[in-house]
Amino acid sequence: MFRSLSLSIIFHVGIFAITFFTLPFIVKKPIDVPPIISIDLIQISEKTALPFAPKAKEIIDKIKEEKEKERVVTKQAPPKIVKKEKQDAVPMPDQIKKKKPKQTDKQNPEEIKDEIRQSSEFEKKELFDPNKIAALIDKSKEESATINKKESLEITQDQDSTVSLDKGLSITQEDAIKAQIFKCWNIPLGLPYNEDLTVRIRLKLNKDGSILSSEVLDHVRMNRPGQGFYKVLAESALRAVRLCNPLKMPATGHDKWKDLQLNFDAKEMLKG
Amino acid sequence: MKKFIFFIFVILFSSKSFAVVTIDITRGNLEPLPTAISNFYIDNPEKFSEKMKALKLEENLPKVIKGNLMRSGLFYVLDNKSYIQQPKLSHLKPRFEDWRLIKAQIMVSGKLKIDEKNRLRVEFRLWDVVSAKEIEGLALFATPSSWRRIAHIISDKIYQRLTGEEGYFDTRIIYVAESGPKTQRIKKLAIMDQDGANNKFLTLGNELVLTPRFSPNGKMVTYMSYFKNLPRVYLLNIETGIQEVVGDFPGMTFAPRFSPDGKKVIMSFARDGNSDIYTMDIDTRRVEQITSNPAIDTSPSFSPDGRFIVFNSDRSGFQQIYVMRSDGRGVKRISRGKGLYGTPVWSPRGDLIAFTKINKGKFYIGVMRTDGTGERLLTQNFYQEAPSWSPNGRVLIFYRETASGKKGQGASANLWAVDITGYNEVKIKTPTDASDPSWSGLLSK
Amino acid sequence: MLTKNIRNFAIITVLGFLVSACATGGKRSAEDWYTGSDTVKFLASGVPDRVFFATNKSSVHSAAKETLAKQAAYIKSSGISVVIEGHADERGTREYNLALGERRANAVRDYLMSQGVSGGKITVISYGKERPVNPESSRLAWSQNRRSVTIKAK
Repeated sequence: MFRSLSLSIIFHVGIFAITFFTLPFIVKKPIDVPPIISIDLIQISEKTALPFAPKAKEIIDKIKEEKEKERVVTKQAPPKIVKKEKQDAVPMPDQIKKKKPKQTDKQNPEEIKDEIRQSSEFEKKELFDPNKIAALIDKSKEESATINKKESLEITQDQDSTVSLDKGLSITQEDAIKAQIFKCWNIPLGLPYNEDLTVRIRLKLNKDGSILSSEVLDHVRMNRPGQGFYKVLAESALRAVRLCNPLKMPATGHDKWKDLQLNFDAKEMLKG
Repeated sequence: MKKFIFFIFVILFSSKSFAVVTIDITRGNLEPLPTAISNFYIDNPEKFSEKMKALKLEENLPKVIKGNLMRSGLFYVLDNKSYIQQPKLSHLKPRFEDWRLIKAQIMVSGKLKIDEKNRLRVEFRLWDVVSAKEIEGLALFATPSSWRRIAHIISDKIYQRLTGEEGYFDTRIIYVAESGPKTQRIKKLAIMDQDGANNKFLTLGNELVLTPRFSPNGKMVTYMSYFKNLPRVYLLNIETGIQEVVGDFPGMTFAPRFSPDGKKVIMSFARDGNSDIYTMDIDTRRVEQITSNPAIDTSPSFSPDGRFIVFNSDRSGFQQIYVMRSDGRGVKRISRGKGLYGTPVWSPRGDLIAFTKINKGKFYIGVMRTDGTGERLLTQNFYQEAPSWSPNGRVLIFYRETASGKKGQGASANLWAVDITGYNEVKIKTPTDASDPSWSGLLSK
Repeated sequence: MLTKNIRNFAIITVLGFLVSACATGGKRSAEDWYTGSDTVKFLASGVPDRVFFATNKSSVHSAAKETLAKQAAYIKSSGISVVIEGHADERGTREYNLALGERRANAVRDYLMSQGVSGGKITVISYGKERPVNPESSRLAWSQNRRSVTIKAK
């Protein structure tokens, strides 16, 4: 009798112990934690300079030389390379057709006449606008402090022209340019609006409004650590400028607006 | 007189500058960035097993990236049916005009390969189509089964490169999966990738589980459970499945969170009608009382540097938000508007506090600065609460419930997310009804 | 002329009172506890098992005191132990409602003890808004859910 009793007690204790230790209220499904991925951050810089096809390389080198001589580098350069590689069939006529409509827009004589008339009235007003003059003063201070050799070359060239308070563009013309750029500029939505994030881009334009060269005036800042937001904004501004190329400019007065500086400031829009 | 002086200055300085016309560009469009994500191409398909081929990574990896970027509201990914160039070529040498034709400004291309060590090697490149150049190029290695995480890490890199901010796609969400009638809800702990994939249940649903939170390293979870009809805070190790009660409190503990260093659990303890905030050190088991006030003090949340705690208290007579130092001193009320405030959470960036607000029968999710100024309400609903921050402090996940009819019909609970600008409200898909979401930190950190 | 002015003055005064009445509308909800008997069960014959609360409040009003006095009498005479459940309606944040339920249950416990029930016979648990008795989203349902229920301990 004692034996069966003790066996019973042992088994009962055993069952209690089992139930106690397994705590069945939790499903012990260990989650497969994904194995840690080793990220090899190869900055594929060697690979980014993708080797072009031999013939293409010649053409690219040729174009680079031309750029240094500050001749017109048109948008047509890349398509030329592609045609000679014969990788995918590029319908040639389409490429050419696209160029034509853009040029015809500027040849509308009536529009231009209006702008010229208005500009003379507005220019007078600008002479006496203290705010605008203050802007000119600030600009001059910045430019005199610049270290960039290229810029100083440009400045000496400009000194040849006559001293004038003539801004070069009427307000209407300015608004027309603004309207174009507004459409082309995709503002990166995540930027903080309380930081100083003005991107200044200097453009040189051809007579037909196409862009000869574009550069970010504070491009050193773009690559500084901690200036990630500035870089993002600068790249978006460059994209805007390139998307809007060629700009619709007045057919005359090229000298007045061949040098444009666009100050991209997203503060108003980001404040929401 | 002033004008005369201006004239002098202009004449003195204008000789250098006048010919450059300056135009201020202060407007643009706030459209999402048009992006194209090409299918990836497989470099050595002969090394891919049947099982791997069935995964269709060349399509599905880009699909996950597309989903992430679209859901952020900052990118618009163009339908790949319109793409002209083939994946292999778009990765080696994209013809930018092809991409410009379909109005893409950014293009993502990629290559998949099995390397000598049998690892999956994913290489992706990010192209600025408009400026015709490559702006990012990286290679990642992993076991094939972790391909989703590779897609999320790539998404984070793209996001960061184009917005300047850290991404939030390589993360997980823990939440409460709900089912059953409203009067007898069945609740289970569930965990999933932030895009809804890999959903797994952690408990069986035999007892109520509420308000789970991730530890900073994402390996532990703290939550409240009614196991054995005793409402208490528990700690669960996700990897081992082992769990334990936090502390030895002679009453209900609830509303648990982790401290930013992961060493303590902070929670409310209710006794005799009074709820105060306590912390317990996970290693030493030492318990500290932080608030000592006859009012209800709950929903505590640490600042990311661990120096302050924001919490919910009705010591003024109504639910409001207060900030105090982590030792409990210096309690200051920060909520200022009309209505009731609850569930404050401190942003991982330290700059904002998100909260729930109830006013005139409406529920709001909002943010305010840490001193209570700049209150902004992001969204309004019949019922919504409990925001939780993405690790980059840009997105809030929360849950909503719908109103129900006489027999409880029409009752549903779902997870939603909203950007801190208030734009881009999206519903997060879950296999069942869901509530109490909590966002993990970046898994790759 | 004078009567016209008096009339205008009267109209303005009346309107003024109406407006101020609306302004204090919020206070009306302070007395919105459930007074019906639809969801009420019984601890024992003639002893209702629950009392109800106003929105965001945990105070025991006079009608509730009547019910609780009966409960106290029954508990003392029968010698049973009880569990007091505290509940809240769905129109609040989840964590605060857990605390509010606990406060309500303790308010009942305190009153029962003031009526002579020994503290050792009472345990308290809060369910916050997790276990509504009426699933509808309506004022009536919410008032029925704002309750404290006394049940016999197992």
